[in-house]
Amino acid sequence: MRGTDYVLKRIAFAIVTIFVAVSLNFVLFRLAPGTAVTNLARVPHATPALRNALKKQFGLDKSKSEQYVIYLEQLVHGNLGVSFENEQPVSKNLRIAVINTLPMVTIGTLFSILIGTLTGVIAAWRRGTPTEAATVSSALGFYAMPTQWLGLMLIIAFAGVLPTGGMTNEFLLDPGFWQHLRDLASHILLPALTLGLTLYGEYTLIVRSAMLETLGEDYILTARAKGLRPWTIVRKHALRNAMLPITTLVALSLGYIVAGAILIEIVFSWPGVGRAVYLAVQERDYPMLQGAFLLLTISVVICNLIADLLYFKLDPRITE
Amino acid sequence: MTAPLLEVENLNVWFDLEGGGELHAVQGVDFSLEPGERMGLVGESGCGKTTTALAIMGLLPPSASVAGRVLIDGEDILAGGEAAMRPHRWVDIAIVFQGAMNALNPVRTIGQQIVESLEIHDRGKGAAARARTGELLESVGIPAARASRYPHELSGGMRQRAAIAMALSCSPRVLIADEPTTALDVMVQAQILELLDGLCNDFGLALVLVTHDLPVVAQLCNHCSVMYAGEIVERGPLDVLYHAPGHPYTRMLFAASPDLGMGDAPVLSIPGAPPRLDRPIDGCPFRPRCDSSFAACVERPHLRGVGDDHAAACHLNEMVTA
Amino acid sequence: MSEASLLIEAPPEGGQNRRGFVLHTLRHRPAAVIGATILVLVALGAILAQWIAPYPLHQQVGPVFAHPSWHHLLGLDDGGIDMVTLLMWGARVSLVVGFAATLVSMAIGGAVGVLAGYFGGWVDTVLMRITDYFLVLPDVPLMIVVAAIWGPSLFHIIIVIGILLWTSTARVIRAQVKSVRERVYVKRARALGAGHTRIVFTHVLPQVAPLLIANTVLTVAVAIFDETALSFLGLGDPSTTSLGKVIENAFQRAAISAGAWWAIVWPGVLVTLIILGCSLVGGALEDALNPRLRVAHLGARTFRLRPLVGRGQDAL
Repeated sequence: MRGTDYVLKRIAFAIVTIFVAVSLNFVLFRLAPGTAVTNLARVPHATPALRNALKKQFGLDKSKSEQYVIYLEQLVHGNLGVSFENEQPVSKNLRIAVINTLPMVTIGTLFSILIGTLTGVIAAWRRGTPTEAATVSSALGFYAMPTQWLGLMLIIAFAGVLPTGGMTNEFLLDPGFWQHLRDLASHILLPALTLGLTLYGEYTLIVRSAMLETLGEDYILTARAKGLRPWTIVRKHALRNAMLPITTLVALSLGYIVAGAILIEIVFSWPGVGRAVYLAVQERDYPMLQGAFLLLTISVVICNLIADLLYFKLDPRITE
Repeated sequence: MTAPLLEVENLNVWFDLEGGGELHAVQGVDFSLEPGERMGLVGESGCGKTTTALAIMGLLPPSASVAGRVLIDGEDILAGGEAAMRPHRWVDIAIVFQGAMNALNPVRTIGQQIVESLEIHDRGKGAAARARTGELLESVGIPAARASRYPHELSGGMRQRAAIAMALSCSPRVLIADEPTTALDVMVQAQILELLDGLCNDFGLALVLVTHDLPVVAQLCNHCSVMYAGEIVERGPLDVLYHAPGHPYTRMLFAASPDLGMGDAPVLSIPGAPPRLDRPIDGCPFRPRCDSSFAACVERPHLRGVGDDHAAACHLNEMVTA
Repeated sequence: MSEASLLIEAPPEGGQNRRGFVLHTLRHRPAAVIGATILVLVALGAILAQWIAPYPLHQQVGPVFAHPSWHHLLGLDDGGIDMVTLLMWGARVSLVVGFAATLVSMAIGGAVGVLAGYFGGWVDTVLMRITDYFLVLPDVPLMIVVAAIWGPSLFHIIIVIGILLWTSTARVIRAQVKSVRERVYVKRARALGAGHTRIVFTHVLPQVAPLLIANTVLTVAVAIFDETALSFLGLGDPSTTSLGKVIENAFQRAAISAGAWWAIVWPGVLVTLIILGCSLVGGALEDALNPRLRVAHLGARTFRLRPLVGRGQDAL
């Protein structure tokens, strides 16, 4: 089959990257100077029983290299230790957080890709006109804004109109399904919009330059010579090819999405992974911090792999 | 008298330059073409021959402005601008671009790209269009089964054949071939030229062959127009241009062409470079490079008849006839 | 077609010598002029803070969250400190962090890029593989972890940001070095027995310099952005005032619910302006060095028709 090599290589790369991240995690938290405080078993206020259990689970009395092996074993079984804060398993805390984060990030990202593609195409299409200048300026503006600050600006603008914190209205007692959904939707609006707007600027710029690049290609001239209508050319010839650089660049912006999500969840008290990171930093809850770090890193690596495979699907020229 | 199939009248093209000012790339080009006629358009790179070809199909970039008329059966197809030009494209005039170029979309199969041109001009849909695509590919020597291949999976020569099949899909009456064999190796070049020759005969196509390569013209065309600095400086039957050129540039161009050079005569190159087109040209544009310029050349010469079906823009001819 | 694009190209710009190039680009592109003006103004305010700031940085000069007034154009913050003063000093710290972190990342990225590009072979393979891994790993979570473990200090922040931002620099520089290495004069210098260090410093680096400058300016923007992010998580240096800390402080002290929008709007505007300035300047430099934008064959604008008066060339 075409490109089996390529697919295997990408998958291998993803696996190695995850391994690098996992090892980095171990090094940072247990080997780096100043890590005495990060001993997994030092759960404050923990019973001796819990402490001993953790010590045994992670082999904390053994040598560092043995600990590394045990750490990997435990990781494979999903054991990331116990949160200092609520003494619940880190994996359980994170599971709840992920479920909260996903819809917000997905809506925001889809919004930005949609709007960014649209405005990027329009900017390229209207090259050299005031429309292009206006589009590019606004994109640059949003690109330059610190995410957390943009969120705060939206809070100032929409205070009183939309809920500006949390995921649900706590005072809504016993809501029906639809009522709950509407409540959730109104809470998700501002955080998702903030994420969408910060990313929109970057995506517009990416799509614009990718489109300008493809609109200069010879096959666009061929399509025109064939008598195709301009928008048909844009859809069938230009955009399809522009998707290639766009895929790569959007994949590279994944880290940016993660950073944005963390900041936004702090601003809007959204109980997701980002806020978990924040609280872990505040409380020096190291097991939670390293769990969240691993989770975020692995998600980014996997999304990157998906982007690579998408690229492969879009570009028939990849054979190896 | 009926109008010729294709007539280009006083065609002028300017490009806006980034730093202001403009470049007069094509300066008053005239020619006409009858069905089945084949004309070569030759000149050095930068002389405006490709721009002329693009202007005829209305394919100029936004930075260009154009004046003059392009008539098909007496109807001016340029007058309405880009949108009015669209229905004529591919149906009346089609174009084949340079072989080395990325003229085929790399992410779509060649079949899809041919079917697309059939569909937009209502020459069949779905299965019928696919069947016709197969026939077209066979007619240029590509097995019909290759329709599902992507451009990168074909060799350079095969890609150029596919491009020709695509150009013929709507049975145009005029075919413009812009450097169709450049960047192909010699064997493949010969095959493509043979193919074009056969197709023009079979379909009664009128051909405009744009090239810098005189042997290519000699193989396909009976008529030739020579462009220099944006204008046609000489035109006539190819053998007349070869044996009795009416313009020193034509003479030097033939002498510079190794395959057509006379016997053992050394291959000459033309010294100097063409004039810049972003400023007005005083006198004959070829004067600085010409080996036979004289006093009269400070006046710009115009294309005028120097023989049967033969015209040149050079003051030397006035001396001879005077 | 290639002919057509050839014709449309403008004549080569003057002032192509390397030192002149940066200045030339800055002067001739409107985006770069705007960006550079913003950066110069902000930098002036930051550098001259100790002389021109209207009030001392640590002194309460009025009531908490006092409204903007003639005495305090941008109002006061939660400690009754003048916002104009705060922004000047904040910009100073932010710029220092931005530039210092960029310096660190330039040193790492430049070294990796030059080594990989210059030596090629297995050195290249190994270094670029490492770069690939770092490129995929998300920066900010890694920064948070490192900063959280090391503890908050300005020095740590600079190092943390610096050691994570070098990947793009390394890739850009490597590509450039690879092409420079193949140039005739470099080959000749090598044939004449010049040492690697000498070749890199006298031949390769000067060629790569303009691109390195463009990359530096863009990296400064990212570093400043990252600093505000780390500060917002409470990982900033508690003893200094950066713009990121000003935003975080206003957020923590509930400036919004207190109605003191000025305590939060202006620091953000300032950060936005700095990042915008860097993006404009860096982008313009990159474009000038690497003009990728070809003539578009399709767009809203089409070619124009022009009337012809009379007939023949003489009428034109």
